[in-house]
Amino acid sequence: MRWLALHFPALSLDLLGTGGDVPLAIVETRNGRSVVYLANRAACRCGVQPGLGADGAKALCAALQVRERDPGREADVLQRLAAWACQFTPQLSVEPDALLLEVGRSARLFGGLPVLTEQVRAGLAELGFAAVCFLAPTPEGALQLARRGESGTVADRAELEQRVGALPLAALPLDERACGGLHDAGLRRLGELLALPRPGLARRVGVDFLDWLDRLLGTVPDPRPSFTPPATYQGRLELPAEIVAVEGLLFPARRLVHELAGFLLGRQLGAQRLDWQLDHAVLPPSCFSLGLARADREAGRLLDLLRERLQRLDLPAPVRALALSVNDLIPLAGRPLDLLDGRVAERGLQLLERLRARFGAGAVTGLEVRPDHRPERAFAPCVPGRRGVGCRFPVRPLWLLTRAEPLAVRDGVPCWQGVLDLEGERERIENAWWVAGGVARDYFVARTGTGERLWIYRDLRSNRWFLHGFFG
Amino acid sequence: MTVSLLLDQRPDVWRGNQPPVAAPPGIPTGWPELDGLLAGGGWPRGAVTEILATGPGAGGLRLLMPSLVQLGRQAGWIAFVAPPLLPYPPALAAWGMALERLLVVRPGTAAGGLWAVEQALRSGSCSAVLAWPAAIEPTALRRLQLAAEAGAALAFLFRAPDAAAEPSPAALRLRVQPTGDGWLVEVLKRRGGWRTGPVRLRAEAVESTNPPGGPLSGGG
Repeated sequence: MRWLALHFPALSLDLLGTGGDVPLAIVETRNGRSVVYLANRAACRCGVQPGLGADGAKALCAALQVRERDPGREADVLQRLAAWACQFTPQLSVEPDALLLEVGRSARLFGGLPVLTEQVRAGLAELGFAAVCFLAPTPEGALQLARRGESGTVADRAELEQRVGALPLAALPLDERACGGLHDAGLRRLGELLALPRPGLARRVGVDFLDWLDRLLGTVPDPRPSFTPPATYQGRLELPAEIVAVEGLLFPARRLVHELAGFLLGRQLGAQRLDWQLDHAVLPPSCFSLGLARADREAGRLLDLLRERLQRLDLPAPVRALALSVNDLIPLAGRPLDLLDGRVAERGLQLLERLRARFGAGAVTGLEVRPDHRPERAFAPCVPGRRGVGCRFPVRPLWLLTRAEPLAVRDGVPCWQGVLDLEGERERIENAWWVAGGVARDYFVARTGTGERLWIYRDLRSNRWFLHGFFG
Repeated sequence: MTVSLLLDQRPDVWRGNQPPVAAPPGIPTGWPELDGLLAGGGWPRGAVTEILATGPGAGGLRLLMPSLVQLGRQAGWIAFVAPPLLPYPPALAAWGMALERLLVVRPGTAAGGLWAVEQALRSGSCSAVLAWPAAIEPTALRRLQLAAEAGAALAFLFRAPDAAAEPSPAALRLRVQPTGDGWLVEVLKRRGGWRTGPVRLRAEAVESTNPPGGPLSGGG
């Protein structure tokens, strides 16, 4: 077994959408005092350091944004990262500050452990999280070494014993009394402890710690509770600085979309609809949905859709946080995309999505025939690609005016750009005209002096003439 | 040895008084007289065709109907971008066009319309894209030409007759005038050939395939 530990030293900072050059500090309350817990690079440049009082930090840097540490949100983000990481292995567990992935079995799928590790690291960077990645034969060993803050690999248990031997006792899960006792005995590092005879050691540190040591070194198995990904995706990103322009939303939205893509990939699912929510300070949140003609999980395509949709979004107020929730999930594995027809269909659906994202679903439609005598009711917009019912009508124009245009009449003859020449038979369309929406009309094909053919009618109730279509 | 004998040995030298030899086959227009004028014997594939006519009543769409019926039998959308009026489904269906191929896009703005046409052409999922741009720059036309090539789609742009004065990178430009029983069609530009004089197309030759009447005839 090979375990990859992912430790997130700056989780509380990284979980905020990166605000670039905005100096930002996370504070927590220690002994009733607000103290800097973490500071980003811009804040560090101003001299803000962990451990500094919040007031002192603000005095050093007037532009400093301060956020209270929120352990609940950190745990939530870690769960989301775990769901994202399911794409690399089905066996992973969540620690308070880290993820543990069993990658020995899935490594071959990704082209080896180094490739897989690099993919995980790069993927996390794309999500905006800095991770220390450590690969070791035991989960506890990988975790302890990752917590030291440097990425690395140990190949086997002998090397592991050597590496963990260098760990200071203060970093180990020992109670204070035992730790103090060992310190008094002149012991500083784990390696010195491991050299002691086991019965004596059990008396000094307790059986629990010995058990922990066995799991660390792999002499006993270390079963971990396996993470179960949630049924739906709910992502949320607080922004360190408010976003005013719509274009600015795309960057933080990328993080959520990539997170979603990993989640979907791990579960072999596709999203059918993406529900976005933008939170404002005072106003109620702005919400919009992106519907997909066909379930998808490809981040690039999902982002293209979002980009088009954002172009016609009006922001009523600056945005403080973004949320993405996806509840409509559809199994998406082994889709046959290689057939020629299938490929055209696939591209056709992608085109629909792009057009809908930019212009709205109502502006991208198909048309179908409806069995209604009234010409203005004999059709309806429909979902593109729908095969409607077949209806036959007498001669009909290729172009219809959705609102018939009144025609002038000269010497009893209707005119449109000159006097019209009526040809052929009249067609009477009469339909319960005594109720609302009923019609009573005589239709004619008429010809203009320039050779155009029109579809006109005389309303039998008002006796007025109207233009209703062009034969084109 | 005469010049013509020399030229006979050089098939790569095009001679203006001969029909083009190696034009890729086009999509038959359904009008034999028109096909005879066009390189490849039909609408050029993967290219922009401009149809200059006064308005929806002038017959541009009807001219296309036989080929749209044929294209509707293949996979791929037949997209109408920003049509000036409603393309009337009962009439399209009466022509025999597959309505499930029809995609109507109403972008709202001229810029949005050009974007939609380009996306549709480039997508590789449209057999034909029909558009009614209000005004279009030669550079935009060039983009559409490239998009049509990339997506191997037929692009039809319907424009006002005064556009004939503007230069155009389109592969084919036709001017269409209705005559009551058909049209006068003039080829203003074509690949591998000069412009032609007006050719008369008679509507009833093709219209007879349009089956009149049916279950609902008589109007109730």
